[in-house]
Parts: sequence; structure tokens; C-alpha cells
Amino acid sequence: MSEFSYADAPVAVRADLPAAHRRAWRRLATPGTWWTGEERVAIAAEVRNAARCGLCRRRKTALSPHAEEGAHDGLGALPDAAVDVIHRVVTDPGRLSKAWLEKTLASGLGDAQYVEIIGVVVTVVSIDSFCRGLGVPPQPLPEPESGEPSRRRPPAACPDGAWVAMIPHGRAAGPDADLFGEGRTPNVMRAMSLVPDEVRGLTDLGAAHYLSTDQMMDLRAGRALDRAQMELIAGRVSALNECFY
Amino acid sequence: MTGKDLDLHAVTAGEVAGSGVAHAGALVAFAEAIVGDDDEALASARAGVLGEIGPEALVDAAAVASNFMRMVRIADSTGISLDGPMEVLSQDLRAELGIDRYGSAANTPPASALRRTLSRVLTPLAWAALKLYGALSRRPGAES
Repeated sequence: MSEFSYADAPVAVRADLPAAHRRAWRRLATPGTWWTGEERVAIAAEVRNAARCGLCRRRKTALSPHAEEGAHDGLGALPDAAVDVIHRVVTDPGRLSKAWLEKTLASGLGDAQYVEIIGVVVTVVSIDSFCRGLGVPPQPLPEPESGEPSRRRPPAACPDGAWVAMIPHGRAAGPDADLFGEGRTPNVMRAMSLVPDEVRGLTDLGAAHYLSTDQMMDLRAGRALDRAQMELIAGRVSALNECFY
Repeated sequence: MTGKDLDLHAVTAGEVAGSGVAHAGALVAFAEAIVGDDDEALASARAGVLGEIGPEALVDAAAVASNFMRMVRIADSTGISLDGPMEVLSQDLRAELGIDRYGSAANTPPASALRRTLSRVLTPLAWAALKLYGALSRRPGAES
């Protein structure tokens, strides 16, 4: 398993970041809710492979992503529908559509499988982007662990205004009671709640990279960068990705 | 929190003059380089943040930027809509900054007439409350 020591980084990295990354890599390697550890690591590998995909490169520059047909340059370890999800989310997230997702789910990929793919994809994108930002190579992917997925679907998850089912406000209970904090939970924190462990991963990694849930409303929260500087970066990255949310 | 007015075109257009944020130029350049695929530009931007703000700020900048490389993909791949209060309070700002033209804006249903009216009434009050919160927080001994 990768050490995430960041010893070769040009600057010292505060300890909570490599600690969070090690936890994330451990989650990557273990059986998830709908995918085995081996499949989850294969998803991670496909995330890194997406940058080399010729179809994705052509689609990115086309006026419409639907104008380009063909097959992805995948690694061959996952179903085609999963590879399409991974590559599109990595390379062109701003042009995803409900119609595309409906067609994807109609091809046989489950909605919760889809959400877990998203969880793995964004974890790898986040950590790899951090490494790139510091100028260090991406960490080797972990060795997968054996075991079966839990296949647990939260009973409270239902259609709630997004493309995938989510746990509504105030309905996270029982084994899912820890998912959301007090008060109204932003939609982006509920977005992956069809697979609660992906929300737990999101929260854990977010606390190290950005702010904890408790700190979000504290406008003075910050570290070496103050809140305004943090939000400037957050906003600029979001605007460049044309993310309306 | 500083009591200054900020120009948010630094966010949407990268126009940092008048942004009111310390070291905005270096931070915007870094954010743009992380999103892009030019490794030389990123190396230059990295050096810029390091030189202007220091090593801990570079780590924070990389951490925040990479966090939002994640968050935008969560939002866009799940089709979530803007949260209700934010949708009401940000209408004018979104129009001014041109955010409503983003493709993912389609995931938030158009505001009803009631919501548009609420926006006109509540937005000035919300900004006034936020300024008051900021002023109170800057008082000596104020706790978070």
C-alpha cells in the first residue's frame, strides 16, 4: 500500500493530508458497496487512463460530445458502460446529461453502481490533482483486498430532485445517522448518499483538503490561506469547469 | 469578513484587479494551471504561490483546488440542483456573472414568480446580515 509520505514534495505537507490520503487509498482497495476491491482499483486505474483516450480527446473538442462516436481506449478490466462513465466524468463533466445517464442505466449499469463509480473517480481525481499541484508523481494504486461488496441500499434513499436517488433531508437514520450534520445538508453532500460510504469518504477527504462540515459556516476558518483566498480558488476552479452548482 | 467589497469577476473571468483578495493573481494563476494541462504553466504558477505566499499556502492552494476538481464532478454527474436558499439569494449575482449560461444550470428548475419576488426582497437583507456578521466577528474577543 502506498505510503503517501510526500517526502519528495518541494515543500512540507501538513500531516492531516497524507493521513486522509492513506485512509482514502485503503477505502479504494477494500470491497465497496457494489464493487469489489479489485473492481474499485480497476476504476481508479481507468481514471488515470482516461487522459490518454483518443475518443475523449475528440469529444472534448467537438461542439457536442454526442457528435463523436466510437469506443474508449479502455484498459479492458471493466464493462464498457463503466468505462464510459469514468472517462466522461474525468474529461468532460460539464457536458454530462440526464439523458446520457438514463441511457447508461438502461444498458445495465445499476444506479448505485454508478454512484459508487463517481465516488471512486472523484477520490482519485482529487488526490492526483493535489499531487500534480505540488509537482509530485501520482501515488501507486493500492493492492486490492478480497471480499464481497455489502450490496446495502439505504432504505431512505428515494428520488429527490437529482438524477440519482438520495437520502432526503432529515431522513438519515439507523446505520446512516452519521452521514449528515445538524440542520439542512447541502445537495452536494447528499448527492452520493445512495452509497453512504462514498459520503463518508467525501467528508473525510474534504475536511483535510478544504474545511470540515462544522467549519463551513465559520467565515474566518482557514489555514495559511484565509477564507476569501480559499473561496477564490474554489470558485475559479468551478468556473473553469463551468459548474453551475 | 474584512469589510471590503470584492469583485467576483476574479472567479468567473480571472480578472483579479480589484478583487480585494490578497495575492489573487498568484492564486488564480495556480487554479487555472491545475485545471489546465500545461505542466510548464503549472510549474510557473506553483513557483508564484510559493514565492509570494509561502510553502504552507502552496499546500493549502493545492488542497483546495484539488478538492473542487472533485466537487464539480460530484455535482455535474449527479444532476443536483442549487439549494433553495442559494437559488433565491444568488439570482442577480448569477445573471451578472453569466453563470446561468453553464450547461449544468439546466439541473436547477427555473425560479417561480414567488421565488423571483423573494429574491428581490431577501437578497439585500441577506447581504446586510452577512456584513453585520462580518463586523461582529471582527470585534476583539469575538468567537467563531
